[in-house]
Amino acid sequence: MKQLERAIRSERNTMLDLLKQSVQTGEKLGADFVEARYDDLSLRTLQRTDDVWKDIQVKSRMGFAITCYVDGVAGFSFTASTEKKNVLDATKKSYKMAHASASIASLKLPFDKGPSITSSKSDTLSVKIHPRDRDLGHKTEMVNRAVESAREFGENIRNVRGLYGELYGQKLFYNSDGSHIDWDFLVTDLRCIVTAKTDTGAMVNGAQGKGGSYGLEVFEEADNTPEKIGEDAGSNAKEQLKAKACPAGKFRTLVEERLVGVLAHESFGHLSEADFIVTGGSPLVEKIGKQLGTEHATIVDGGTPDIAKYGGLWYPYDDQGTPASETVVLDKGILKHYLNNRGTAQKFGQVPTGNARAVNFVFPPIPRMTNTYFMPGDLNEEEALQLLGTGVYAIQSSGGQVEGDGSFLFKAIRGYWVEDGEIQYPVREVSLSGNILELLGRVEGATNELKISSGYFGGCGKGGQFPLPVGLGGPMLVMDGVTFGGQAEE
Amino acid sequence: MEFDNLKEELLSVVDTGLKYGTSLDDSVELEIFLFYESNAEADIAQGVVTAKDGVTTGNAVRAARGKQVGFACASGIASDRVKFSVNEAISIIDAVSVEDERFSGFCDPKSPGKEGLVSDEILAQGVEDLLGYCQEMMKDATGVDDRVIMLNPSASTSWGGYAVGNTRGVQSATRYGICFAAMYAMSKEGEERKTAFEYEMTRDSLFDVSKIGSRAVKEAVGQHGAKKLDATKTMTTIWHPKASATYISASLGQSVLGQPVVEQISPLCDRIGDNIAPDFLTVIDDGQSPDSLGANAIDAEGHPQQVNNVIEDGVLKSFLFDTYFGRAHGVDSTGNCSRGGGAFGGSTPYESGPSASSKTLKISPGSKSFDDLIGSIDEPALLISEFPIGIFHSSVATGEFSAVANCAFLVEKGEVQYPVQACSVAGNFYEGYKNLRSIGSDVTATYFGVNVPTIVIDGFSVVG
Repeated sequence: MKQLERAIRSERNTMLDLLKQSVQTGEKLGADFVEARYDDLSLRTLQRTDDVWKDIQVKSRMGFAITCYVDGVAGFSFTASTEKKNVLDATKKSYKMAHASASIASLKLPFDKGPSITSSKSDTLSVKIHPRDRDLGHKTEMVNRAVESAREFGENIRNVRGLYGELYGQKLFYNSDGSHIDWDFLVTDLRCIVTAKTDTGAMVNGAQGKGGSYGLEVFEEADNTPEKIGEDAGSNAKEQLKAKACPAGKFRTLVEERLVGVLAHESFGHLSEADFIVTGGSPLVEKIGKQLGTEHATIVDGGTPDIAKYGGLWYPYDDQGTPASETVVLDKGILKHYLNNRGTAQKFGQVPTGNARAVNFVFPPIPRMTNTYFMPGDLNEEEALQLLGTGVYAIQSSGGQVEGDGSFLFKAIRGYWVEDGEIQYPVREVSLSGNILELLGRVEGATNELKISSGYFGGCGKGGQFPLPVGLGGPMLVMDGVTFGGQAEE
Repeated sequence: MEFDNLKEELLSVVDTGLKYGTSLDDSVELEIFLFYESNAEADIAQGVVTAKDGVTTGNAVRAARGKQVGFACASGIASDRVKFSVNEAISIIDAVSVEDERFSGFCDPKSPGKEGLVSDEILAQGVEDLLGYCQEMMKDATGVDDRVIMLNPSASTSWGGYAVGNTRGVQSATRYGICFAAMYAMSKEGEERKTAFEYEMTRDSLFDVSKIGSRAVKEAVGQHGAKKLDATKTMTTIWHPKASATYISASLGQSVLGQPVVEQISPLCDRIGDNIAPDFLTVIDDGQSPDSLGANAIDAEGHPQQVNNVIEDGVLKSFLFDTYFGRAHGVDSTGNCSRGGGAFGGSTPYESGPSASSKTLKISPGSKSFDDLIGSIDEPALLISEFPIGIFHSSVATGEFSAVANCAFLVEKGEVQYPVQACSVAGNFYEGYKNLRSIGSDVTATYFGVNVPTIVIDGFSVVG
């Protein structure tokens, strides 16, 4: 074991050395600042559909990414090679582009050099059972258990899918500040999706899953065992067989935590990413200090939540080497801060927030979210239903999308029609849409528990960089005036 | 590598990899996919310049023994990276006893089809040229209208190819080159923000960017003064090509593919030979026309690409298969194996296992121009003229969709009356095909890998 540890350490030192040489080369060419990063990430994907093991995949994502800055303008290049010649060629390309772009750019985002930052061992999340310590057989067995349980609890099943994914590995970084970052990334995910057929021939879905920066011990907890995940997926699909179409129109709504997370992420989070702000594309431009929502609306983005307590993604440093922070973007309805990289932070007189991320080494880092969530309030679930009164209780999400003018759409996988605080009947998959700046002004209450979801499957897409693992969550929220795209009358 | 010797170089690495794998274990079937793409991009957003230039390379290996299949991939095409993937793929089938009951071997060798056209001018483009295009688009857009608050031109050029070899004798490669230019414009009037996205994609020549900027601006400002539709009802919807491309891609583009058909979750899986649309709808999937953006000599497992009839005169004729799903369905591959998501595989297609997807779906034109289609509609109808958000968040199994049309207009009494505020549009895709009222003659190539005209559909739920 010691020999293996020594070999790993030696390889890391070699790569760190290459990063340093890249930075020095870029500086010698004339770059004002250079960032060099190296990823060596392993991914495993297992997918079973009914009795067919369609996918057992192992992936290696290893390469160098270099950004040179000239006069506040970036040029980016990359290579999958670990040969010194190729890394330095990528550095030269990156400098050449920065130099060519600097003469054209009319808006530049320079940033001052900062103190040198060195990561520590404790920056890597400690887990009891790292996925590298369990073989593929253990993981296929988890999937099998979920699928069998889903079959037991579902009805009229057409198709059951069980999926397991893991992504882990080293992220090394060096820059002109002399910062040296070295930490290990980790995401695991187990989920089950059931498709059932109604008596009238329509297909309905039920799903459940658990994902985030977890060791495999999380799948031994009572609420997260493969059996429980399968049971929930099967039961949800079974309930959907009898669900009615959600009526179309504007209703009051109680939104469950995962869907609240999508709301925080899709509808508000993207609009506060500073590249949209600096280019004028976001409706949040020049709105710092303005009241945009009710006092129940507080939205935070942060890279190191208490994973054991709330869940989420562990992301201690971004791809510019900035340490994670907890950024209060919206505080009781007042816009406080954008999600920055180093250049936008300096422009706005804010701090870098640890939000410069790239989905892999083939892309430059751009402002992206980490874990984005609404803060909890003080209601329990019963009180939230009473506050809702009559409307839709919308649950689980299959994602969403936002436009630059603030309009958004996201999908609830299932839900219930509620009257006078009492659940009446289940409703089918439905979309919720609206304009975020209007919606935040209609948040009436929040429950008292925070839950953050993340995972390997799916993720955030922006600028062609998809899928980026993110965390999203919140409490349950009660809101008025949400448009539901269900079934309109003839 | 250079474009001219790309195929030979990739095939040489494939050959070495296959020999290495069979030397480890000659009982194993092997397939090696190698990918190489040189990509340069430039983007100017309100004066902020982003430039990127690099070569993406990667390899993917499948190893099979009977019904056991392992997939491994890695960034890079150097021999040690290919060997890594070969070792990992073989390790999977040695370590795990689970089987894929549907698997019956890799693709059999056949003569490749034809590569698409590639312009030498595209190959010669560099980042400086792309920055020049962006500046040209900016110049065209600037000053057209004072309400514009944001202009974001972008341009990219990609050239590359892939090679596939397997132990059944497939050893083929193909190359491509594509350039793309676009302008995103945002305008503001009071608190009302409107956006538009115009683009050009070509493979056989350099694009003409001269009008892209002003087109985007005019489209954005044309949406101001949007009134509330103030309705919750079923309505006729008119889908401009930028919107109808998303409709086709999110519906047929998913449901005629091998995976949902074989897994019995496609709403069309039992419908071959049925009328699923009026007789004026004909759809082909074209993997061979030289100027089609999806044209290549071979698909992503080495089978020749071809032209497939999907819908003919309203009748569902065939699905789109790779070897795996084709054999599972009892038919040959239709040359539709792909790797990676999106219309064109994404940035690292080698990271995805092979599956079936369309190459370029083409809808045959109708006889009416866009203006004639509008002129034929008397009752209130909704014209959707841009990508409605959320349409790809539909489920292939249910066929239900719900999307928000941000760029929409009320059509009534044969005329476009005025822009309307964002409307939710919901329904079932396949009910939509049955309720297809007419299709236009304005076929447009789109970046969704769909060439499509304006389509008119009755009976979706609209809330606005």
